[in-house]
Amino acid sequence: MRYLTFFAILLLSACSTTMPVTAKFPAVPDILLEKCPQLQTIDGEKVSIVDYTKTVTINYTTYYGCAVKSDSWIEWYQTQKIIFEQLGN
Amino acid sequence: MWMINFLPSWVFHTVLLAGVLGLFITIALAFIPLIKKYILPIQIGSIFLIAAGAWFEGAISNQASWEDKVKEVEAKVAAAELKSAEANTKIVTKVVKQLELVRTRGDDIIKYVDREVAADTEVIKFVENCPIPSIIIKTHNSAALNQPIESNK
Repeated sequence: MRYLTFFAILLLSACSTTMPVTAKFPAVPDILLEKCPQLQTIDGEKVSIVDYTKTVTINYTTYYGCAVKSDSWIEWYQTQKIIFEQLGN
Repeated sequence: MWMINFLPSWVFHTVLLAGVLGLFITIALAFIPLIKKYILPIQIGSIFLIAAGAWFEGAISNQASWEDKVKEVEAKVAAAELKSAEANTKIVTKVVKQLELVRTRGDDIIKYVDREVAADTEVIKFVENCPIPSIIIKTHNSAALNQPIESNK
């Protein structure tokens, strides 16, 4: 029985089961790794409504720029996830 | 498995064939005195060769099957990498365009404020008489920094 077990193991050792190919999840584009900038504050004692409006406009622009990157992150991840999952099937 | 990579396949086919031939000889040509004398060692040797040959045949077949699978997976991975790179390029191009649009629109509004709003007589009059109260500025700055209002006092 011991010999039989030994030979069975020996014969099965001919079957290799390791797959030497692995798929890597892709790297994120650098543009999506940029941090969102800090919003601007208003300095000075006497501030006009014009300066106030300009700062608010700059901050809104910063927000929309950041929103574009955030939305693109989601799109990038979902797209790459689908591609990666299709590979497994 | 290194032997399969090291030696050509025909060596293992020959080993199996030699084993089968040896066994056949001990059965079919047992009447020859020389063979009859060594029948047991030949049979043992033949069985050993058959076992070893069968083992290597299985290993070769298994190796070939795995190599095919590896090639198939490699092709799939390459296709996925290409698809992924294309998707990356598409997304990056879209982001760059959108960011440019956001910047342009923001700049246009700033220019409009400088050109139209700041030059408006009603606004000039307002700016001269009504500076923004500091509490409004502090509130704005707290919101911009996402800090509690107290800490900005």
